Amino acid sequence: MGFVKSQPADPSKGEDRKVQRDLAGLTTALCSADPKSRRWAARDLAHFPAAVDALLTQLARETDREVREAIFITLAQFDNSQAVNGLIHCLRSEDAALRNSAIDALKLMPAAVAPMMAQLLRDPSADVRILAINVLESLRHPEVEAWLIGVIAQDTHVNVCATAVDLLTEVGTKTAVQALLALKSRFAEEPFMHFAIDVALQRIQGE
Amino acid sequence: MAKTDISLDEFQKFREFFYRKTGIQFDDNKRYFVDKRLLERIEATGTESFRHYFTMLRFEASGEELQKLTNLMTVNETYFFREDYQFRCLVDSMLPAVCARKKPGARIRIWSIPSSSGEEPYSIAIYLLEHWPEIANWDVELISSDIDTDILKRARLGCYSPRSVQHVKPALLDRYFVRQKNGDYQISDELRDSVEFTRVNLAEMTDTRSYRNFDIIFCRNLLIYFDDLSRRKAAEVFYDALNAGGFVCLGHSESMSRITSLFSVKKYPEAIVYQKPEQP
Repeated sequence: MGFVKSQPADPSKGEDRKVQRDLAGLTTALCSADPKSRRWAARDLAHFPAAVDALLTQLARETDREVREAIFITLAQFDNSQAVNGLIHCLRSEDAALRNSAIDALKLMPAAVAPMMAQLLRDPSADVRILAINVLESLRHPEVEAWLIGVIAQDTHVNVCATAVDLLTEVGTKTAVQALLALKSRFAEEPFMHFAIDVALQRIQGE
Repeated sequence: MAKTDISLDEFQKFREFFYRKTGIQFDDNKRYFVDKRLLERIEATGTESFRHYFTMLRFEASGEELQKLTNLMTVNETYFFREDYQFRCLVDSMLPAVCARKKPGARIRIWSIPSSSGEEPYSIAIYLLEHWPEIANWDVELISSDIDTDILKRARLGCYSPRSVQHVKPALLDRYFVRQKNGDYQISDELRDSVEFTRVNLAEMTDTRSYRNFDIIFCRNLLIYFDDLSRRKAAEVFYDALNAGGFVCLGHSESMSRITSLFSVKKYPEAIVYQKPEQP
């Protein structure tokens, strides 16, 4: 007993190769009854952007958390509009865990999310608009502040605007001041909004 | 004569390429650090300009130049028994939990990444020998990996300056190091043989696929150099590399909870670590 060494790993024998690790084989494995096979298929499909549809289809019916997470990270790596559309669809799900994971994945896809953000922030559902603002929270994109200013200038839903104000408190600059002041008069009857705006203004102007 | 400056466009082009290859992200404030090393390699390879060098880097079949550049771009700063409260946690909390799940005498596998010049894996080995009598009853496999092949050679050699070992107690120096004629200290042959050093790029799935069945992973102060997506991918690698109930130890400023929800937070008296659920 004590320290031991094993033979150096042979990468080709690292896993059961019951299926070919090509697009067709992995797509089949993605529907396997075994969650481990599905998870590894989802991870390996990162090399195949053509697998977006298969991954999104599986995501819609997948119940295993580990497999879901692998699908989300693979979709995030694609960073393309097809994957973003599929993830946006998840924002409308009743499943809170699915929604949260979709938000986390979208945050990792600034290039593909950016062209769709304006539309997402005008979604008919206030819940989806709030989730879109959650995506902005850590989306590395230079337009984040401009999008938030657009929300507080136009959105009529108090909770959507409040979420945007919260985020502007963190990321806003003096560019946001006029829009924040205008928002105060739009929601003159909402003391909470006044408080949140004052905090944001204080933070922005204090800097 | 070689062009001696790197333009902003070239810097940006290079960092995108390097990020795709290694997962390591350089912010704007690392411009000087990156430019200096690029210029060093441009000169060493005798290429005419960044453009020529970059073409070689991208299309060289062997990948040898990319490896040399990666070796230069990685930060290898560590010391013996760094953040040793996690080693106490290893011995007092994590290993008892791991052993409780295993059959007596089974193998325990520990992965230390990045190895840097070997201080961490050797510290783990010494700590186990000094503070975990149970090692007499278990097989322990200690594997340590790094993306930098030069630093792996140094790790295998295990030679350290007196300054590097200044915080190692004299008794441990006597027991596990051999004083060299030039004043340096070399890890004893027996201890050097206790660690398997391997080259791994965490961003490359073909590199990490065979890393499985670990019980404990130390990955400290590496993910801070990664961007969000690379951190997520690394977390997936660790998750699949661990046995159910296995642990990940990160650096004191890092948090797995901010990266993924796959792991559970485990608060032990000595440290906070992250556990792969026993039953997902």
